[in-house]
Amino acid sequence: MAREFQRGHKAKISDLTAGTDLYVGVQISAPGLTFDISCFGLDADERLSDDRYFVFFNQPKTPEEAIQLLGSQAGDTESFRVTLDKIPPQIQKLSFTATIDGNGQMSQISPGYLRIVAGGEEVARYPFDGSEFSTERAVMLGDFYLKDVWRFAAVGQGFDGGLDALLKNFGGEVAEEEPAAPPQQPRADAAPGFAPPAFGAPAAPAPAPVPAPSPAPSQAYAPPAPSPSVHAAPTIAAPLHTPPGGTVPPPAAPPAGPFTPPGAPPQGGPFTPPGAPPQGGPFTPPPGAAPQGGPFTPPGAPAVFPGQGQPFGGGTQLAPVPPEAGLRVVLTKYSEAPVGDRWTEQNPQMVRATLTKGANILAKQGSMVAYQGDIDFAHKGSGLLGKLTGQLTGQGMALMRCSGDGEVFLADEGSRLFVIRLQNEQLYTSARGVLAFDEALDTEIRRIEGAGLPGGGLFSMLFSGTGAVVVKTRGVPVVLPVGPATYVDGNAVIAWSAGAQAVTTTSLRLRRSGYARQTQEAINLQFRGAPGNFVVVQPFEV
Amino acid sequence: MDLQTLHAHRSAATGVRMSVHSSKTLKVTMVTGQDLLAKAGSMIAYDGFVQFDAAPASLRRSAEEMVTGEGGKLMLCRGDGDLYLADYGGDVLIVHLNNEALSVNGPTLLACDASLQLTIEPVKGLAKLSGSGLTNLVVRGTGWVALVSRGVPISLDCAERETYVDPDALIAWTDGLDMKARRTIKASALIGRGSGEAFQIGFKGQGFVVVQPSEDTGDRFKVRG
Repeated sequence: MAREFQRGHKAKISDLTAGTDLYVGVQISAPGLTFDISCFGLDADERLSDDRYFVFFNQPKTPEEAIQLLGSQAGDTESFRVTLDKIPPQIQKLSFTATIDGNGQMSQISPGYLRIVAGGEEVARYPFDGSEFSTERAVMLGDFYLKDVWRFAAVGQGFDGGLDALLKNFGGEVAEEEPAAPPQQPRADAAPGFAPPAFGAPAAPAPAPVPAPSPAPSQAYAPPAPSPSVHAAPTIAAPLHTPPGGTVPPPAAPPAGPFTPPGAPPQGGPFTPPGAPPQGGPFTPPPGAAPQGGPFTPPGAPAVFPGQGQPFGGGTQLAPVPPEAGLRVVLTKYSEAPVGDRWTEQNPQMVRATLTKGANILAKQGSMVAYQGDIDFAHKGSGLLGKLTGQLTGQGMALMRCSGDGEVFLADEGSRLFVIRLQNEQLYTSARGVLAFDEALDTEIRRIEGAGLPGGGLFSMLFSGTGAVVVKTRGVPVVLPVGPATYVDGNAVIAWSAGAQAVTTTSLRLRRSGYARQTQEAINLQFRGAPGNFVVVQPFEV
Repeated sequence: MDLQTLHAHRSAATGVRMSVHSSKTLKVTMVTGQDLLAKAGSMIAYDGFVQFDAAPASLRRSAEEMVTGEGGKLMLCRGDGDLYLADYGGDVLIVHLNNEALSVNGPTLLACDASLQLTIEPVKGLAKLSGSGLTNLVVRGTGWVALVSRGVPISLDCAERETYVDPDALIAWTDGLDMKARRTIKASALIGRGSGEAFQIGFKGQGFVVVQPSEDTGDRFKVRG
């Protein structure tokens, strides 16, 4: 099962997969924006010492083809093939980045991901969305880095400049930049030069998406953090552009603020995170969104918010329709995930089961949203199983059997779905946590021991054997390791590992719920077990 | 006052007619002369001078009823400024039609340019199911359409194989698909919410069907006055 990474997570590649021939797919999109997704092959000093290891749209592979750009496929905006064995020793780190081509900012992006596929199976996935970013125009998504062995890190680090600034960050001196970057990308909007803009001068290299930042202005422009935050408070509508007190004339083309100049110690992240206060990062106007040569505030005048500075009165010009907004193109973003194994997580809320003859699945009734192929749905008389869970937990667990040849898409009221694959293992779930499972799995109803439970007790389902269980949770669940005193609400628990024993003791805390509709009393369960056991709890009761 | 956590969510200036803010809010740049039809009550904020009127009379009887279910209304928005719309936290999907047609399951339409034609067209082969609440609203022309999906939708290619969809989970489908109803034959079969009236809609042909990961219950639409 694909391991889900969050920002900052790291893992050895060898723990994810035994293979070294990896497919790296990136999906990133936003209405009206195009993205350049590139891979930087960096040396031990995290510098792009060899231009040939900058893999992007104009240079689709490295000389020995260790890194190849494959293009858009299988739901991914961009994809790479990385053969770890072939990477030359001087390359110590591969950094996968996405940059916005043109104006825009990362907060606009739709949910996307970076994933690693090995041998046709997705082994790692790092999901991200626009809420993690603000005005950045580039983001470093993930790194493969060599530290004894190759490892993967989910970075998710936003970056205020565009591709040019990223290059500069990796490339070293500004002076070296000219040969390093622009020749490879004869883009119309490339910065005309990398001379840093003079401090306070309104000279605006208009077409430049990112004027080269120089250390001095980037320090000098950054307004003290508290001051703009006050100015910024009343609006959320526009990129903030607030020189404090009018003493500093606003730069027409502000340099990207928050990163330290090249040459700073590379370790520990060569640039400050955009949220870091000292640089005043988020308050620096986003380079792309700032009006080029726009409303220029005379010193002493009240600050102007560029987005609001435009007159509302017929003067507004709508941008042309971006090509990404076309009917077919919009839909491609939501197209089917590439074929995985029997169970595929199409998106966080939908699972695809690929059925073949003789291998049926059982699913919660009504959970089918669509199917392709020849599939029969039959009521599953679940016998004891259904009756017990239905009557005793008040949680009717009506099942249907899906059989035939084809693909079934399952979902349940937008719940988060997780496919848990059992390899001759056991898993307990609560009845409400199950969306579907392989019929080949053995199921059993277990009563949770404990005296004096209302309504006759609490029941759980025990799955054992080899197959998959799809578990649903309302909201993003939390997985707790079972410790000496782990208590969970019986109405919020979804699943737990078979080694964890659920007990309700006489010292059980019963509480009457405040919800008028709820007739049953909530039950707190204590879990006990050896280290390594876990409990999955959803942020939603009943 | 530390507002950094809020600043991450501030709205971006895009300049395009429709854009999506953090996947759940629709931002429409309003310009005089380009009016917008939106589900009444879906406005969460606006910036500038925007007026909200009742929908034109021609729409009242037909499309309006379908879009909003019981008791709801479409509103006509006009003016200059930025308009923010949302629908109970559903994911917003925006599409630009370039002289194309899109069939929409009524309640999933959040907003569309008033220059688009909204018509109701009979669905062939589905006459028997007219009581199910499924409506075939066709949006045709050139302009922007915003749809709401409960959860991240999926787009299924009907050219590969015949695709069957639970009508409660259907959002939209492209023009020119053959539709047919399929009742699950076995008497004991129970698919769909509650009742034994189990059926799916089959789509076949060159085109796409968009499906949401949830079976929409109509309740949230009735809350609005």
